[in-house]
Amino acid sequence: MLSVRDLGVAFGAVEPLSGVSFSVDKGETIGIVGESGSGKSLTAMSVMGLLPLIGGRITGGRIVFDGQDLTSLPERAYRKLRGGRIGLITQNPMTSLDPLQKIGPQVDDVARLHLGMNANEARARTEEILGTLRIPEPALICDRYPHQMSGGMKQRIVIAMALAADPDVLIADEPTTALDVTVQAQIIRLLDDLVKQRDLALVLITHDMSVVAQTCDKVVVMYAGRAVEYGPVETIFDRPRHPYTQALIACIPRGLDDTARLTGIEGTVPTVINYPKGCPFHPRCTRAEAICATDPPDFSVEGDSAAACHFAEVADAQSA
Amino acid sequence: MPNLLEVRDLSKRFTSAGGPFRKARSMHAVNGVSFDLPEGRVIGVVGESGCGKSTLARLILRLIEPSSGTVAFDGDDLLAKSPSQMRKLRARMQMVFQDPYSAIDPRYTLTRAVAEPFEVQGVKPARPMAEEVAELLEMVGLNPGLASSYPHQISGGQKQRVGIARALALRPSLLVLDEPTASLDVSVQAQIIGLLEDLRTELGLTYLFISHDLSLVKYFCDEILVMYLGRVVEALPDTAAPARHPYTRTLMESTFEPDPKKRRLIAPLEGEVPSPFDLPPGCAFADRCPQASALCRTETPALSSETGHAVACHHPL
Repeated sequence: MLSVRDLGVAFGAVEPLSGVSFSVDKGETIGIVGESGSGKSLTAMSVMGLLPLIGGRITGGRIVFDGQDLTSLPERAYRKLRGGRIGLITQNPMTSLDPLQKIGPQVDDVARLHLGMNANEARARTEEILGTLRIPEPALICDRYPHQMSGGMKQRIVIAMALAADPDVLIADEPTTALDVTVQAQIIRLLDDLVKQRDLALVLITHDMSVVAQTCDKVVVMYAGRAVEYGPVETIFDRPRHPYTQALIACIPRGLDDTARLTGIEGTVPTVINYPKGCPFHPRCTRAEAICATDPPDFSVEGDSAAACHFAEVADAQSA
Repeated sequence: MPNLLEVRDLSKRFTSAGGPFRKARSMHAVNGVSFDLPEGRVIGVVGESGCGKSTLARLILRLIEPSSGTVAFDGDDLLAKSPSQMRKLRARMQMVFQDPYSAIDPRYTLTRAVAEPFEVQGVKPARPMAEEVAELLEMVGLNPGLASSYPHQISGGQKQRVGIARALALRPSLLVLDEPTASLDVSVQAQIIGLLEDLRTELGLTYLFISHDLSLVKYFCDEILVMYLGRVVEALPDTAAPARHPYTRTLMESTFEPDPKKRRLIAPLEGEVPSPFDLPPGCAFADRCPQASALCRTETPALSSETGHAVACHHPL
């Protein structure tokens, strides 16, 4: 449904994103995971065609949606897609909601604009969607303002707005980061159900490996603007081949059965102006050798998964 | 071990002033909290936003005045102390804040930031200040060469290390850690948690660890207090103890494990935390609780350990 190949993005002379590839099909969830500054939100903005807004441009690669290359799509055509067949859910629901407008009309607008419905049809659709999102008394909610609702409820409204246009692809950028854990569990469960019921392709952008483990079919691990490893979720968690992925997993407390000490990763995430040469992870990597500081590694492919590390095969030999 | 901290029936009520369009309202941010913190232990306080965990931290250090209840530190009743006595005592009880960006004055060099506690307390370290600062920076894993840097020149994780160095400057016995890693990336969070573990053994520190992250609390703490809307609803005596309060169970079930093989079909709790200004009578959790009875909606359950570890529920699991 959506396939990104070797995407590169630049702002002037700075290139915060390069060589990012992934693809997602209907009924599938892909997780894009990384720490702050890894380029995951920038990836989402590229797909949504929002880069010109923040002064960025695509320098290479392709974004193919339903057979159509989006990188050369004129803005007029992009407008039809954006918020229509490709929906976006942001971290902070208030960036998507108008504080001065009631909920009902805000959600109605989507179906009127993208599906050409009249006011009554659109409202009926809004109420139906709110119902499927397990929002109690949809008609009453339509008459409320955003400030009268809790954070979890606002996030549901934003999801409803994305669904109103009957999208094929949903991009969710940290949809639960601002929420409490019990509400996070509700929203994640909801997204999971939607992918299955509506045959959606979901791109879930998150910093939280536990959320990935709980919901995704496939994962792309990003670091310093590059994809460093990708593959099916079980493989990535069972046999991670990139040292960064291994370290990232070792950073999370794993509950009671595993009392292994949290190690952390020495150093800090580089910012875009000081991206290291060669492998972006080499200054923090325990396995790095001379070659890592000079040559960017290619992907070493194994089955469905691949890791961009000079020593991925060495790791395979050790674990075998 | 003797108790370093004894908290009894601590409460804090906030009132908002009324106005032409609004009635005056009040809420119990912390409501009747009691617990003991023995020397050398780590107690975690876990709960969702608005449960009163940060207010509790501030009450314990008397950064805000409680409405009622007592706090005893090393046998001393803190609420009977004058401001100057309190300032002296605070050398032994320090806090690490959630946001290292706002906890350090941006115009201070790291040296001045770490030396500030000495200045405030009017004490001189036994050796030259530069040496003292260098040792404190090293203790928290920072290169002493950074001493003349400013906060904006270092990363978030490094800033949090400075926050910890400041807290340790006067060799306190108690550290109150208020979400010390919540604003950090996971790889840096793990570094800071590792550092806090090391410091605990090296310096024999006692921690009160406030967090919203149950898996982190389970990893780091010896005992856990679960808070919901100002009250402690359950006191888990160790991290392996099963949940007895339905809220604790929900919290445990909502906490994802980083393992795709342990995927579970969560039956998420309906509803959200009610407004603390407008609490229903009885148990504050009753409206979201699958086993709430009529009793739960009329009578507030007290924390009781009659049938197992302490839980505030009429129908414990």
